[in-house]
Amino acid sequence: MSSINNTKSFHLISSQKVSFTFDGKKLTGFKGDTIASALLRNNINLVGRSFKYHRPRGIYSCGIEEPNALVQIISEHNEPNARATVKRIYDGMIVESQNRWPSLKMDIGAVNNLLSPIFSAGFYYKTFMGPKGFWKKVYEPIIRKTAGLGKPPKEFRSKSTHHHHNVDVVIVGGGISGLIAALKFVKTNYDVLIIEQDSFLGGILNTSKKIKEINGLDTIEWIKKTEELISKSKNIKILKDTTVSSYNYSNHLIALEDKAVGSLPPNYKPELVLHKIRTQHTILANGYIERILSFRNNDLPGVMLAGSFEKFVHRYGVVPETNPIIFTNNSSTFSLLKSLIELNCKPSAYVDNREENSIEKSTLDYLKNNNIPFYTGAEVEGCDGRNIIREAFIRHKGNIIKLKTNMLCVSGGINPDVNLFTQSKGLIKWDDNLFTFKPDKAFQNTIVIGSASGNFNFQKLNDEIKNKLNFLKEVNDTKIEIISNVENDYKISEIWDIKPEKESLWSKSFIDIQNDVTVKDLRQAITEGFDRIEHLKRFTTNSMGTDQGKISSINSLGIVSKILNKSVSEVGTTIYRPPYAPLSFSAIAGRNTYEFYDPKRKTPIHSWHIDNNAVFEDVGQWKRPWYFKNKKGETMHQAVQRESKQLRESAGILDGSTLGKIEVKGKDALEFMNLMYTNAFTKMKPMTSRYVLMLGEDGMIKDDGIVSKINDQHFIATTTTGGAPKVLADMEEYAQTEWPHLEVYMNSITEQFSTFNISGPKSRAIMRKVFSNIDFSNEKFPFMTFNNFKYLDTEVRIMRASFTGELGYEIYISPKYALELWKKIFHSGKNLGLVPYGTETMHLLRAEKGYIVVGQDTDGTVTPIDLNLNWMIGKNKKDFIGKRSLSRSDTAREDRKQLVGILPLDKNKKILEGQHILEINKLPKKIETPIEYLGHVTSSYHSPNLKHFVAMALVKGGNKLMGKKVYVSDPSKSETIPVEIVNPVFLDPENKRLLS
Amino acid sequence: MLIINCPYCGERDQSEFSNGGQAHVVRPSDPEKLNDKEWSEYVFVRSNPKGIFFERWVHSHGCRKWFNAVRNTSTDEIIKTYKLNEKPPILAEFTNNLKTPSGEPELGSGNFTVKK
Ligand SMILES: [Zn+2]
Repeated sequence: MSSINNTKSFHLISSQKVSFTFDGKKLTGFKGDTIASALLRNNINLVGRSFKYHRPRGIYSCGIEEPNALVQIISEHNEPNARATVKRIYDGMIVESQNRWPSLKMDIGAVNNLLSPIFSAGFYYKTFMGPKGFWKKVYEPIIRKTAGLGKPPKEFRSKSTHHHHNVDVVIVGGGISGLIAALKFVKTNYDVLIIEQDSFLGGILNTSKKIKEINGLDTIEWIKKTEELISKSKNIKILKDTTVSSYNYSNHLIALEDKAVGSLPPNYKPELVLHKIRTQHTILANGYIERILSFRNNDLPGVMLAGSFEKFVHRYGVVPETNPIIFTNNSSTFSLLKSLIELNCKPSAYVDNREENSIEKSTLDYLKNNNIPFYTGAEVEGCDGRNIIREAFIRHKGNIIKLKTNMLCVSGGINPDVNLFTQSKGLIKWDDNLFTFKPDKAFQNTIVIGSASGNFNFQKLNDEIKNKLNFLKEVNDTKIEIISNVENDYKISEIWDIKPEKESLWSKSFIDIQNDVTVKDLRQAITEGFDRIEHLKRFTTNSMGTDQGKISSINSLGIVSKILNKSVSEVGTTIYRPPYAPLSFSAIAGRNTYEFYDPKRKTPIHSWHIDNNAVFEDVGQWKRPWYFKNKKGETMHQAVQRESKQLRESAGILDGSTLGKIEVKGKDALEFMNLMYTNAFTKMKPMTSRYVLMLGEDGMIKDDGIVSKINDQHFIATTTTGGAPKVLADMEEYAQTEWPHLEVYMNSITEQFSTFNISGPKSRAIMRKVFSNIDFSNEKFPFMTFNNFKYLDTEVRIMRASFTGELGYEIYISPKYALELWKKIFHSGKNLGLVPYGTETMHLLRAEKGYIVVGQDTDGTVTPIDLNLNWMIGKNKKDFIGKRSLSRSDTAREDRKQLVGILPLDKNKKILEGQHILEINKLPKKIETPIEYLGHVTSSYHSPNLKHFVAMALVKGGNKLMGKKVYVSDPSKSETIPVEIVNPVFLDPENKRLLS
Repeated sequence: MLIINCPYCGERDQSEFSNGGQAHVVRPSDPEKLNDKEWSEYVFVRSNPKGIFFERWVHSHGCRKWFNAVRNTSTDEIIKTYKLNEKPPILAEFTNNLKTPSGEPELGSGNFTVKK
C-alpha cells in the first residue's frame, strides 16, 4: 500500500517531526498525529491481534469508536488498551502492539482461528464445564495467558484531580451544531460550558469536505471567527480534549479531560481532570457514528470505515491509500470520493449497494466524468489477503468480479450517537428511512440537535436549533447560511450482512470486531433460544468490548431482526451504559488515594509503640499494637504467650485510646440511656460504672462497652473501637426521630481522652507508685467505681475496671499528657514486671474468662440471652431498644445457639476458630448427605496459664449440653477432635482475682 | 448523583447524606402490648413501592440532622424534603406528575421490551 501526505490539510504540521517507536521500530510522524495517523503515514496498518482468534487487525476507524487498534504505551505507566486512533504521539513515545506472541506478524495464538468451532457463541459457558478441577488447573491458566488485551500498569499513583461545575447549559460537542447553538448564548445571562472531545472545535468541518462555506467564509475561517466570538463572551467556557463519559440523573454529567495530549504526562501536575457537571439544560450535539457492514473477512487490515478514511485525509493530513475501493450503501461516501479526486487520487472502484435509480444524479455524473469504475446494486462479497487485504470480490448482476486492492473503505450508514441520550434515560425510536435509532422523548432537560438528533441535512440545521432552543428566554437570533459540497438529503439502502461466496475456517463475517463475534455466532445463539437482545448480547459477548460495539451494535439489531423476521423496533436495543468511552480508574480516584482515601489513625502513644517493636493491627482506621516483639525472632505465638503469662503473674498495660467514647448530657439523659441500653441505670450510684449492651430493635447485640454515671444528667459511654461512629449515629437517630421530647445531647469524645488499661495482680502497687496521693484500697476504690483526680495541671479520671479478669484500672487523660504519663507508668512498673501487651493478648485473656468480643463471638444473630447475659437486662424497665424482640417466639426458643466453652479431652489438641461442632467422631471419606452440625467455634486460644486450648462456641441448645462429649472438625483431616462442652469461664470463676 | 435539599443547610450533593428507609413508621409507644406479629411488622416489614415514596435521610456529613423526603423511586427524583416535625405532604399532590425513564410502564418490570 502507499500513503501520501495531504499537504492541503489545515491540520498537517509537517514542519515539526516527532519520533516514536512501534514494536521497537523507530518511526517519524508529525506533531498532532495520533499513533494511527502516524502509522498510516509510515504505511503500517497491521497493529494488533484479535481477542479470541488472534487474527491480524489494522486501523478500522479514526476516533473513539476504534475496535481494533488498541496498543500498549510503554513510556507511560505501561498504559494498556490505548486507542491508537485517539492517543497522540510525542517524542520518545514507546508503543507496542498487544495480544501477540512471539511477534505481531507471527502469532502462535492464531491457531485459535482454526479451532474456531470450539470458540463459537457461549463458548465460555459450554467448554469449561468439567471435569472437576480442570478449571483451576487447566482452563483458567490458559485463558489468562491467551485472552484479554493489554497488561495492567504496575506501580502507579494517580495525579488526576476533580473539578466541579454548576452551569445553566452544557453543550456536548463543539462541531457545527454545537457552535451554532453556542452562538445563541454569546453575551447572554446563561452560564454555558462547551465540551469538545478533540483539540479543535469544528467537528465535521475539520474532518470532511461536506461543507464549502458558512456565511460566505471558508469553513476553517468560520470556525476561527466563531471561536473568537465565543471565547470573548465571559459566560461561555470551552473545554477541549474532554469527553463526556456519563449522563446521570438530575442533569449530572461526568467528563474526562486529557491534560497531556501529545506529550508525556508530567510528573508534577495532573494528567487527567474529571469534570463533575451540574446543569439546568443539556444540549447534545455529539454527532453521529458510521457503522460497518458484515462480509467475509471484513476484519482484514486495510478495511476501514469510509468516513474515518476521509477524517485521516483532512483532520490529520494523511491519505492512507491513494487508490482504495469504496463500498457503500448510502450517500455519505460521496464526499470521500470528491476529496480523493480533488487530491488527484483515483478510487479503483466505487461499489454502491443502491440501485442506479436511487443514487443521486450528481454522484453518478461525478463518477462518470472522472472515469471511476463503479458498480450499482452491487456488494463486496468478501476479501482475502494475509496480514493485509489483497483482493476484494464484488458481486454484481450475478457475477463475481475480483479486484486487486490495498484498501477497502466501507460505509454501512450513519447512526446518531444516541449513547448519552439513552444514558439520560431518553427514549429512542427506529427510523424506517434512515435505518437507525433516533432520539425521541427526552426524560430530563435534554435537547438533541444536528446529526445526533438524526438531522443529516445542513440546510435545516439553523432552523432546527432555533426551534429547539426558542423556549429559552433571551437567546440570540443567529443567521447561518451554509453552502454544501454534497447533496443535502441522505439516502440509504437496507443491508446488514452479505452472504459469502465460499466458506472456510479462515473466512468469517464479523459483527463485533473487537470481541470476535461473527454473524454465524448470532445465528447460532438464536437457534439455541437466546432470541432476546439482552440475552443474545451476554451469550455471544456482542458489543461488550472497550468500544461497546459503537460501529456495529445497530448492525446486529438489523441482522437479528431479519433472522427473527421482526421489525427492529420489536427486537429493541440493549441499554447503553456509562462510561461512553473507557475511563481510567485513576481519574475516578483523583486525589482520593492511599492516605487521602483512608487515613491512618494513630494514638498519642504510637511513637512509643514503634520504639518498643510493636506489630500493628488495623482496627477500623486505627493502628493498634497487636503484640510486642520482645527480641529478634520472637514469633507472634511466643510473644502472646509471654505477654499473657506475665500479665497474670504481675501486670500488663494496654493502650486503649482507640475505644470509642461518647458523652451524653441533658435533663433527660438518664431516661435516654435507659432506652438505649439493656441495663438499668436508675438505681446506679453516681461515680460508678457498668458493663453495658446495646441491641438492635431485633434484639440482637450491636455493641458493648462501659457506661459511667457522673449523675442523672451526665453519662460517659465507651464503645468498641470499630463501633464508635455507628453507636453515636444510632443515639442521634433515636434522639431526633423517636424521642425528640427528651432533652439530651451527645458528642464523640474519643479523641479527647487517651485511655490506658492496667491489669494484673501488681497493678495496684504500680498505681500507688504513679499516683501516690490516691487511696487504691478495695474499700476506698472498689470495683466499677471511678473518680477524677488532679494530675500535674490537668485531671485524670481513673476507673476500676477490667477486660482481663484481673485486678485492673483504666486511666483517662488528655492526649497532651498521655505519652508522658504512659512513660511514667512504665518506669514505675518496670521492677514490678509490668509488660506492654497488644490486642491479641487481650483477646486471649478475656477468652480464658469467657468474656465475649462483639463481632467475634457475636455476628448480628446473637441475643444477650444466647450468651447467658440475662443479668445485664433491665427486666423491670418498661422499654429499651430491642426489649420486645427478646420475647418473640423465635428469640425465646430454647434450642437457639448458645455460648458454651469447649475443652479438648486430650489437652494437647489444638482447636481452630470457625470449625464445626459435630456429633460424629469421624467424617466419611465422601460426603454424600449433609452432615448435621451443632454449631461453630467462635474463639480459640492456647492458654499459657492453663496450658491447653480454651475455646468458645455457639452451640444449638448449648446450655442443656453441659458435660456432653462432642467433636470439633479439623480442616486438615477427616478425624475430629473429642471435646467436652463446659462453662465458658475457664479461669477464676469466683472472680477472686478480679475483686482482689 | 442526586442533589438533596437539606431543610437545614440547603442543596447539597447526595454523597453528604445517608438514607434511613421508609419514613413515618412510628416506634410503638408500648411495645410490650403488641403481639409477635404486630411487633415484627414494625421491626422487619417496610414497603418498597415503584413511584412516590416517603423516606428518611440524614445529613451525615453535614448538620447530622434527620429529615424526610418524597422520592419517586422509578426516577430517583427527590421531589420534596421537609423537617421531621412538619406535616407530611399528601400523596395525591404528587401522583399526577409521575413519570418514568424511557416511558417504561409505571408498575412492574423496568424493562418494557420484556413486558411484551
Ligand atoms: Zn444539613
